[in-house]
Amino acid sequence: MGISGTRLRRAGLVVAVAAAVTLAIAAPVRAQDTSQVFVVHGIPGQPVDVYVDGEAVLSDFQPGDVAGPLELAAGSYEIVVTAPGDPVTNPIISVPGAEVPAGANLSLVAHLGEGGDPTLTPFVNDVSAPAAGQARVTVRHTAAAPAVDVRVNGEVTFAGLTNPQEDSADVPAGTITGDVVLAGTSDVVIGPADLTLDEGTLTIVYAVGSAEDATLMLVVQVIDIAAGPAGVPAGSGGLAATGLATGWYLLAGLGALLLAGGLLRAFTVRRAAQP
Amino acid sequence: MTGSRHRQAVRRGYGLAVAGCGLVLLLVAGLEAWRLQPVGETGAGQVLRLAEPPDRPRAAGPPEAPAVPVVPGDPAGVPGRQPPVALRAPAIDLTAPVAGVGVDPETGELALPGADRAGWYRLGPGLEASRGSVVIAGHVDTRDGPGVFFRVAELAPGDRIELTATGGAARSFRVVGREVHRKGELPLERYFDPGGRLRLTLITCTGPFDRRTGSYRDNVVVTAVPD
Repeated sequence: MGISGTRLRRAGLVVAVAAAVTLAIAAPVRAQDTSQVFVVHGIPGQPVDVYVDGEAVLSDFQPGDVAGPLELAAGSYEIVVTAPGDPVTNPIISVPGAEVPAGANLSLVAHLGEGGDPTLTPFVNDVSAPAAGQARVTVRHTAAAPAVDVRVNGEVTFAGLTNPQEDSADVPAGTITGDVVLAGTSDVVIGPADLTLDEGTLTIVYAVGSAEDATLMLVVQVIDIAAGPAGVPAGSGGLAATGLATGWYLLAGLGALLLAGGLLRAFTVRRAAQP
Repeated sequence: MTGSRHRQAVRRGYGLAVAGCGLVLLLVAGLEAWRLQPVGETGAGQVLRLAEPPDRPRAAGPPEAPAVPVVPGDPAGVPGRQPPVALRAPAIDLTAPVAGVGVDPETGELALPGADRAGWYRLGPGLEASRGSVVIAGHVDTRDGPGVFFRVAELAPGDRIELTATGGAARSFRVVGREVHRKGELPLERYFDPGGRLRLTLITCTGPFDRRTGSYRDNVVVTAVPD
């Protein structure tokens, strides 16, 4: 490794330190300034390393796995995907300027394009809270395959999706059975698969792989998106109350007065008794 | 001369008696203040750090073990939430059934079950979780008497808490902190948090009690990490 390599490494360090400082500063207001970024691996048969601005954030990342969240400050990032152990100069996918907005929830998906070439697609996840009793399901076509329909419990729910389109719906929480068919047909290409959709979750289903290579499969990512309660009322009896009621302060005040008055009286008497 | 001395002795005795009464009153009030002293806080800084995102790798170079959580995306491998069904805290002789609870649609507040069981927030992490805050809240008391979490504020760092799932699988936690917040200032996002390190969060009420509204002023939050 020559001088330029050392320089590169130093530059990487500077970027990493700058990023760490940015993150530290952004921490108290991170909801506005940074985004949560997940990485989804949808390229069959190819484990990878993932670099963000030269930092190794994932190593030997396996197909079908979901990583994250990374907290990334808003800005532009260089994202490089390599075969495990390969240098960043020999990438499978390289995105020089991936834009991360502020305050978003993103899934960065490494997948095959419609033609079968590896690519990286950022999706924004809708993490707004669903209504009570509801779950959200999002389907994303990220496979080297033609247009498809997604059927839920036998009925076409998301129709005519092409790579890299997505669609979304809020549904009652529960277990569903889904499959993927060629658009407008009942030729099943993936599934059927059972999925448990918990209340207050976002379940993202990715169709990945290649129709030609017969590697089509589903990758599922689940994110908690419930709004959370507004408070926790957990007592109504007063048995565990702390702090004195006003009466006790009055009593203590009276005690202090009596003590002072009594002592003063005894004290002055004693003084007066001195010859 | 003798009469004057006698008068002085009487006056002194009277003064000392009054002072003694005052001292007794002060002592009684002091005892009551000691008995009703507010719940103390401990380990707040550590609890705060639990909610922070994991450290990122520091520098470029050869690939290292990732600090970023990685989970399989296999549809059959998505377990769904595993509800805890029982909670045990030997340090305070607590064994309680746990029921899943959501949010009261009218008030937006956590809808706790009766005083005889604790409530697990079922829209957040459960026993399957590898990250985030598993929240279990319980009544400190009701108009009918002490509730299931009557002594939870006594839990101290190092105390063990055990959660049991349906089927008997157990998960053990160790208390690291106890915090007290006014109800209006409770940092809910930090406690009802699907992210950050895996932790167990117990919540109940404490502080002065308002008889008119029938509610406590504060919440006490006990945080525990996997043992």
